[in-house]
Amino acid sequence: MSGVRQVVGMTGDEAVAHAVKLVNPDVVAAYPITPQTIIVERYSDFVNNGEVDTSFIPVESEHSAMSACVGASLTGARVFTATASAGLALMYEILYVASGMRCPIVLAVANRAFSAPINIHGECTDQLICRDASWVSLFGESAQEAYDETILSFKIAEHPDVMLPTMFGIEGFIVTHALERVETLSKQQVEDFIPASRIVRDRFSPDEHKTFGSLVLQDYYMEIKRQQEEAMQNAYKVTKDVMQEFSDLSGRRMEIIEKYQLEDAEHAIVAYGATAGNAKAVVDRLRAKGEKVGALKIRLFRPFPTLDIAQALSGLKTATILDRSATFGSPGTIVQTDIASGLYGRENVPSLHGYINGLGGRVLTLPEIEEIFEKSKDYNDVGMNSTTDWVGYRS
Amino acid sequence: MAKEAPDEFLRWTKEKWGSSQLPIGGTVPYHTAYGYKTGDWSAFKAIIDKDKCISCMNCYYYCPDSAIIMDDDMKAACDMEFCKGCGICSKHCPSDAIEMKRVTR
Repeated sequence: MSGVRQVVGMTGDEAVAHAVKLVNPDVVAAYPITPQTIIVERYSDFVNNGEVDTSFIPVESEHSAMSACVGASLTGARVFTATASAGLALMYEILYVASGMRCPIVLAVANRAFSAPINIHGECTDQLICRDASWVSLFGESAQEAYDETILSFKIAEHPDVMLPTMFGIEGFIVTHALERVETLSKQQVEDFIPASRIVRDRFSPDEHKTFGSLVLQDYYMEIKRQQEEAMQNAYKVTKDVMQEFSDLSGRRMEIIEKYQLEDAEHAIVAYGATAGNAKAVVDRLRAKGEKVGALKIRLFRPFPTLDIAQALSGLKTATILDRSATFGSPGTIVQTDIASGLYGRENVPSLHGYINGLGGRVLTLPEIEEIFEKSKDYNDVGMNSTTDWVGYRS
Repeated sequence: MAKEAPDEFLRWTKEKWGSSQLPIGGTVPYHTAYGYKTGDWSAFKAIIDKDKCISCMNCYYYCPDSAIIMDDDMKAACDMEFCKGCGICSKHCPSDAIEMKRVTR
């Protein structure tokens, strides 16, 4: 089978469903929400056609979906779920239970804007606000990355040094519903990559007597939380290793950050998710005009690859940060504040210019990104080394 | 039967284990609640009339603290070390065999 690359046309959601099918998890508990619905629909097709062995639990809400996932995961099952926007917000309480009880659940997020006003289109705020929930958090640019990150996520989450739930995001409609070219893997390749069953330290079972979810107060709570921080630090290296292993397997280069034309660059455009594709296209256009510019794509959001980003941006003049997420009254965009914290006190750092854009699926065109790039350079020329703007709206 | 928390649990509470020693995710051995004699919280105690008890075990299953013990004759008895005096057993007893009496300390 290896050596034969099969190429299929799939939407982002379908790519996730097909990748999960190859993983064949023990339990999927999910509630449909646009634009994630196709993942759950396709997967329930697979279940009812007998193509997978999964127990599919159709629940009454996302709060219940994640609760069912936690219960299933504690029995030692391999568990998957998917959601978006309001659904992720409803799961929020149980996200902390999942990570606190060290359940390596994999969650696909079809990134969508929050209500109100109600909107079903792409925006990454839903996933970014889960940054403190002790979940490993990845973003994908395309249907291909949706497919690849689905498979990767199981391996990262279940690594004995990590044992943390993992979520990955693809932008609503822009990726979830766009039909794209996807190179698939064979069942055998995925079985070789991911062990048949996961390593379980404590299993909720009639044969193994343990207390799960016990009350832990002032005397031990902080120790248990500290374990999560150490696991998150381990996840940084594990994610790097797993991505390297996956690159070798698939022949597709997969890294926690992706550097595009940054070697001789003086300026960088930093983006994540689908916007990163546009950033690279703009780099090509600007390079044609003689600008020394490159793109930096952030694939791993938590644990935040501070050092990798600092090294990638070292010596540059400006960094234009395109952030498709909303935050209000903040010192910068969500990703900009993380980058700024990571760069603080270092030498040879670029000026940081964050741009809140694309909310509720608003399109940010390539000429607009070029304008934004010019704006960053102008800010830098007058010595403004940290700015945040909203772009692409009518005032 | 002595109700004691497991040795492993008693050891780490005595030695004040840290993040590197404790099992991950707050998962602990079972029966750790034996270390906490919650019966002294109670404002009521269950007085069980064994002659009225019909051995249905409703109280046994409904007790949220597993404080009902079935004795050798399969009659309900109450473990006062763990009974919090909630009265659920009394409400669920079909033969009115359990009376809640106020405890005065």
